Amino acid sequence: MLGYLRLEVRRTLRDTGFVIGGVVMPVAMYLLFTNLGGGDDDSWKTASMVGMAAYGAMGSALNTGGGVAEDKANGWLRQLRVTPMTPRQVVTGRALTGAVTVLPAILAVLAAGGVVNGVRLDAWKWAAIALLLWLGSIPFTLLGLGNGYRLTAQTTGVANLGCNLVMAVVGGLWFPLSLFPEWLRSVSPYMPTNRFAQLGTAVADGHAPTLGALLVLTFWLLAFGSYAVTSYRMTARTV
Amino acid sequence: MSFTGAVKTFGAVRAVDGVDLELAAGETVALLGRNGAGKSTAISLLLGLHEPDEGVVRLFGGTPEESVRAGRVGAMLQDGRPVPRVTVGELVGFVARTYPRPIPVAEALELAGVAELADRRVDRLSGGQQQRVRFAVALIGNPALIVLDEPTAALDVEARHAFWVSMRAYARRGHTVLFSTHYLEEADANADRIVVIDRGRIVADGSGEQLRRAAGGNLVSFDLAGAGTEGLTLLPGVVSVEVRGDRARLRTEDSDATVIALAERGAIRGLEVVAASLDDAFLALTSPSDAASAPSSPPSPPPSSSANLEAV
Repeated sequence: MLGYLRLEVRRTLRDTGFVIGGVVMPVAMYLLFTNLGGGDDDSWKTASMVGMAAYGAMGSALNTGGGVAEDKANGWLRQLRVTPMTPRQVVTGRALTGAVTVLPAILAVLAAGGVVNGVRLDAWKWAAIALLLWLGSIPFTLLGLGNGYRLTAQTTGVANLGCNLVMAVVGGLWFPLSLFPEWLRSVSPYMPTNRFAQLGTAVADGHAPTLGALLVLTFWLLAFGSYAVTSYRMTARTV
Repeated sequence: MSFTGAVKTFGAVRAVDGVDLELAAGETVALLGRNGAGKSTAISLLLGLHEPDEGVVRLFGGTPEESVRAGRVGAMLQDGRPVPRVTVGELVGFVARTYPRPIPVAEALELAGVAELADRRVDRLSGGQQQRVRFAVALIGNPALIVLDEPTAALDVEARHAFWVSMRAYARRGHTVLFSTHYLEEADANADRIVVIDRGRIVADGSGEQLRRAAGGNLVSFDLAGAGTEGLTLLPGVVSVEVRGDRARLRTEDSDATVIALAERGAIRGLEVVAASLDDAFLALTSPSDAASAPSSPPSPPPSSSANLEAV
């Protein structure tokens, strides 16, 4: 299964769409959003760094599902079924691929924050933010896998893009919640993306993530996890 | 491996309809049939990709899934498109590690005729090269049984030839090979045994020579020279009559009796007796209800005109 993980990570990193959408875009948007308008607001530079790292991680996590849909269409999943690998190993390998391929986005945006925007944090905070964003991306990988197993390659692309944009904007990854109208601001805390970024911003502000954040994220973890499992069961034996 | 009364339906279509079949170790077997005859479904059952609705499919004494997990099977599936963004070496090397006793990657690439492509990306190869990479993927695990579903569909003549050279080299190592095709010549040239499948059922099973004989033996043709065709169907042995231009072509189960009867009618002009071609055999076997009117294609050069009838 490690061989499968290595193969799929390699394939993902060679995907120009992945590198641009999952790594270059979040970094560019971060630098743009924090340096336009001459804003020299250090707390926004930190908060946006975490938000954009979360946005990039979510995009990469969802992209895992795009890979599944692609491999369903080109027959690679079917070919894997006639190798000695078990279906469980294949789907686990895919989920681990997602876990590895979210790292470039997280690390690139944090690096841009530290190097270009001069964000200064204690070493343990950097490490904790990276780790929490990494773990917090798991629900999004499951959502992507759910889409990828359930939908065709084209509709998976559209579904992932839709999930990505709605959750990024409503969750406050792109713009601070203070710019939102009241009703939207009341919806945001229920979005997984909002709580996902909160894992990082809480640490940057020097305290532990709130119980609310953990509860909301656990709820989405279970919801997206069940979605992934039912999607997988629906199609795994017919690919 | 064996199929016993296997049935698989998709909606109202009985894609595989009561198939009984056994393969012996070391055989090269062709599964021959038209498009939609049930070849791919039979292969999916064999590989455990589908479960039969009725009947049993066994591979090496276990279920297909057990045999696949144990690495006894390698397969080249139909209409697989290339895996994007991997090199040939990476792909074949990865599949090798999933099998318990693979052959060396270099050897597999050599056997499949793609050794010089190891560092090329699979999605940037020609159709023929991709097909041979897929063959390398099927054989890398050194499986006892290798299954090839329409391996040469959509290949040009040259690529097809290169593919069969590789396949025969692999079969000579003592592996059991099952391939499906709708090309008669391919089945005849590359298999020890041909299993003809039509509408989900096996309609014939034997060597190419046996199939030719089973399909109504010989083809007797002669110039009509203006004479009518009435009564020809009633001649001894004749199964069907076809007239092309001024020439009558009689398919017969007993060419001796047919020729004697023709001589008695004084009808022998430019007489020719040949074994029915495999094309004729195939048409006769796969459309039994309208055999008499089936258009037969021109006979290819027959290897022998022996008239022994043999039940297959």
